[in-house]
Amino acid sequence: MRGARVVIDHVSRAYGRSVVLSDVSFVVEPGELMALTGPSGSGKTTLLQLIGSLDRPTEGRILVDDVSVGELTRPAHFRRETVGFVFQLHYLLPALTVEQNVELPLVAARVPRRERGHRSLELLDEVGLGRRAGSLPADLSGGERQRVAIARALAGRPRLVLADEPTGSLDSVASRKVWDLLGDVRARHGTTVIIASHDAMLAERVDRALRLMDGRLLPPAAAQRTREEVA
Amino acid sequence: MTALLSNTLAGLRHRPGRTILAALGTALGIATIVALLAVAGGAKHSAGDLVHLGASDLGLFQKDAADPTTSILPTSLVGSLRRTPGIADATPLVLLVDDIPKAAGAVAFGAEPGGFLTKRLVFTSGHLYRARDEIVVGDGLARRLHVAPGATLRIRGRPLRVVGIYHIGVAYQDSGVFMPLATAQGISDRHGEATVIPIKLAVGTRPATVKREIGRRIPGILVISDPEEATRAGANGQLVSKAALVIAVLALVIGGIGVMNTMLMSVVERRAEFALLSAVGWSAPQVAGRVLIEGVATALIGAAIGLLLGVIGAQLLINVLGAEQFVSPQLTAWDFGRALLVGVLIGVLGGLYPAWRAAQVSPAKVLAQH
Repeated sequence: MRGARVVIDHVSRAYGRSVVLSDVSFVVEPGELMALTGPSGSGKTTLLQLIGSLDRPTEGRILVDDVSVGELTRPAHFRRETVGFVFQLHYLLPALTVEQNVELPLVAARVPRRERGHRSLELLDEVGLGRRAGSLPADLSGGERQRVAIARALAGRPRLVLADEPTGSLDSVASRKVWDLLGDVRARHGTTVIIASHDAMLAERVDRALRLMDGRLLPPAAAQRTREEVA
Repeated sequence: MTALLSNTLAGLRHRPGRTILAALGTALGIATIVALLAVAGGAKHSAGDLVHLGASDLGLFQKDAADPTTSILPTSLVGSLRRTPGIADATPLVLLVDDIPKAAGAVAFGAEPGGFLTKRLVFTSGHLYRARDEIVVGDGLARRLHVAPGATLRIRGRPLRVVGIYHIGVAYQDSGVFMPLATAQGISDRHGEATVIPIKLAVGTRPATVKREIGRRIPGILVISDPEEATRAGANGQLVSKAALVIAVLALVIGGIGVMNTMLMSVVERRAEFALLSAVGWSAPQVAGRVLIEGVATALIGAAIGLLLGVIGAQLLINVLGAEQFVSPQLTAWDFGRALLVGVLIGVLGGLYPAWRAAQVSPAKVLAQH
């Protein structure tokens, strides 16, 4: 499966007078593993939300495989078909088993029960949690929960995975596993992966890193310097 | 749909305390409806017994009486009725309710000794009354009051001698007494009057034909041939039916508000859950549907508890009113169906607004806040 091509074209986002993103432009090629770095409040999360159709830009446009995300009439349908989200917190539903949590995007897509089960178990095997399918999230460690969240993000076979600080609440061992996993996702499925993170470990694992500062994209040279500093 | 349902039910199981508390709000409303329907059904059944007292085919009542027991008819009608073609017999009857000490709800029947009503009494001891100060007692009441032939019972303060114990097989009659018509008229100060005139039809006569004929000849009366008519005819019966309707509406409103309140709290607490569902591709109707299913499932659990409480409550209500001799709770499958329907409506009405709220949760705002 081919990953999505993402075009960010002069995108700005303001909440009232507060400008969170200002005139950001870049392109992410299909199958690229890209990092968005920058300090807290630099606009990373907002940008990911805009790309994932959770929010709309106040100016500019975002194209995901030539679909203008800001103009979607059925954004939930777009997310179901195209995007997989991984958040800093896993947001697993505590009442559902690990397998049921992974199936959530498939329930929305009305995928038949047998296929849902097959696909979710396959993904749980892929993230190394096949044996925990019947467990409740409360019985898992933080790192395991995040791996379940990654399996959930992949359940709908998305062309684009957006990960917002996926290791923000994990220790270094668990973080390493998550980074390996996201790298595998790109390698195995050809999925485009955009990661927003502070994590220094990320620098050596991505194809490209862009740095945001106060809602603006730093020029490549400045970003390169910052990347080297972080590395 | 199955996955949505099982996910939702898993959520309810995960929060048993909240689910049960929300269900109890609905249960109280449903229990009230069921109890009232059971009492109304029981009253209808008793009215049916009254209409077919002594195996009569028709009962003649005063029109617009509050209930069948408060009807007043002149006994002079009896002669004219007996002469009507198609009528085999007619006999006046006076009903006295709540006039026997220590026997709340028991009915005293004043009937002519030679009338067809007293002919059906089977005596387990003693005999039918022969004098104006004699009465016969149903075996149920006799056991309750520990009386036997030779004892004295006071009815509205008048001492009457027990001369027989009878059994007829109808609970409220076996829990009452029969006395001479003239005695009952004297006690109630209704000389020349009866409460009801039971009518026996000649073999092969159609009740509708006789009803039409009597109705034409005697204005101001009501001829009843089935319990449904008896309930409709009595203002009290109508009152009970209307009370059940009012309670149903109140249950809908109060239960609906209860479910809505609980569901709203739940939606506010679980905003992150709905934001996540939206983020992974659930559409607004799908998120709303999940909340609605929760509301209906909670209300149905409440309805099940309410049905049980209602059946128990109906018996308690009748006991508290002291009407257990006259009315026993009666519930039909349709009564249960109506209560369940109200339960579903409570769930839907109470769940609508919280469902809308859940569907409006912005994943961008909520997930960023967390």
